[in-house]
Amino acid sequence: MAIFPNPSRIRAARRVAGVMLLLACLGGSLPSRADDARAFSVQGFGTLGAARTTSNDVEFVRDLSQPTGIGNEWSAKVDSVLGVQAAWRVAPEFEAVVQAISRYGSAGNFRPEVAWAFVKYDPAPNLAVRAGRLGTEFFMLADSRWVGYSFLTVRPPGDYFWYLPFYSIHGADVAFTVSLGDSLIRSKAFYGLSNGKIPLADQKWDIEGSPMAGLYVEYQSGPWQVRGSYANIRFENDLPLAANLKQSLNYDLKPAQAAFLSTRNKLTHYYSLGVLYDSGPWQAQLMFNHIRQGSHALENSSGGYGLLGYRVGQVTPFIGYSWIRSREKDRLVTGDPMADAVTAYVMSDSHSDQKTTFAGLRWDVLRNVAVKAQWDGIRGDENSYFPYRKEDRARWDGKLDVFSLTVDFIF
Amino acid sequence: MKARRPLFLSVCCWLLAMPAMLHAELVVVVNARCGVAAMTRSEVINVFFGRNRQFFNGIAVEPVDLADAHPDRQRFYNSLVGKDLSDVNAYWARQVFSGRMPPLARVASADEVLRWVVSHPGGIGFMDSTKVDARVRVVYELGQ
Repeated sequence: MAIFPNPSRIRAARRVAGVMLLLACLGGSLPSRADDARAFSVQGFGTLGAARTTSNDVEFVRDLSQPTGIGNEWSAKVDSVLGVQAAWRVAPEFEAVVQAISRYGSAGNFRPEVAWAFVKYDPAPNLAVRAGRLGTEFFMLADSRWVGYSFLTVRPPGDYFWYLPFYSIHGADVAFTVSLGDSLIRSKAFYGLSNGKIPLADQKWDIEGSPMAGLYVEYQSGPWQVRGSYANIRFENDLPLAANLKQSLNYDLKPAQAAFLSTRNKLTHYYSLGVLYDSGPWQAQLMFNHIRQGSHALENSSGGYGLLGYRVGQVTPFIGYSWIRSREKDRLVTGDPMADAVTAYVMSDSHSDQKTTFAGLRWDVLRNVAVKAQWDGIRGDENSYFPYRKEDRARWDGKLDVFSLTVDFIF
Repeated sequence: MKARRPLFLSVCCWLLAMPAMLHAELVVVVNARCGVAAMTRSEVINVFFGRNRQFFNGIAVEPVDLADAHPDRQRFYNSLVGKDLSDVNAYWARQVFSGRMPPLARVASADEVLRWVVSHPGGIGFMDSTKVDARVRVVYELGQ
């Protein structure tokens, strides 16, 4: 579908690009002054990535925000990113932060966007309140999914994070820490309206304005960190199914089907439990999640991953295993076989049942530059379609290998 | 025999202290007026990783770190948590770019660390033990 470029959006994109460039230039010339209480600092991160798969039966994406993915030819599309962040400490307890990021996103291009823009207020040392456009921590580590330098693997394990296309909210969060001597308890609660669109075939699912709320409690003791979290979102809009079906199958969605598959005002719940172990050369992560979808159009799922890495000199080899399994919901039975088949087809689009073994290494070549290589062996059921793009259902057998190379850096 | 024991012990202590004299140890210091006398390893880790931002008596911590290029930075994190600087920088990249917290203030030399700690009520930093003076208090010793 041809989307006419909206002139105001192009102007906005140019402004963001200009700001990024300006910030990057300032970053080179303005070292942050440690002693200056009104310090202004600019920092950035980026990834230059290349990845390919072993199949053209589906397109592989990094997450659900990407409208098209990659096949069996090397592509820099899914993992490459550049982010620039400016922070201004207005007063000792007030800080303003803006982050602009350019990556392949829901618009199908690398148009820069403002990832976060918020004011942080610390009324007490262990209490922080933020308001504005904020990253969401639906799951542990979810708010730094694009900062490749900050983690061991090439990208966060998809089986765990794929169902999470949300990046930011317009709202507020409160975080506090209670010190228990050697150990700590930390907690954060957030509420806001989501910001963004999720590509769905040739259409976009507009989730803008959907209320999101969440809470986590975390216990940290020595090398151990354990977190339990809950979050939910109430979708503001229906999936763009009618337009998609009209276009792809020339099918007119009937009111009964539309009502059955509606996502509007449906609440989806996200539960997760994560354990991190980080001691000397060892790094380990174990995470579980469960997602209960309020709509019939999206299946409930459970997923998780385990990751283990050990540093030897400047090289950290790692291995991991992740999985996701979604459960079919009751089908709609209207007595019209054609209609029921179409409904079932739509419902099956969110099905996933696969396990991924991954292994690779991170090599810290220079200070603040890491090179990574990784293999992902995805072994799934042939009807595991989520979250791939352009799946050829007749040929897809659920098995896919992904090879990735990245250079991650911070500046 | 009994009379010789103190002498023997002091010789042992002196011998044990020898390596420290050859290569001075790193210590964590706070502003002498902040009311903190000693800290555990975990407490020091929590402060330098930005997890805990106040001392037990409620005073806000104001930690200062060294620039990457300073050899004591690698020594400090290596003996504190057994981590390479790349790991420490990766940790901070996550904190900073997720918008959770700003990085610690950084200075280029031990003299500047001393100046920072003395001039901030909750100042805390690490330095070579030979640089310590009466205006700061050693709250944790890292050894070699």
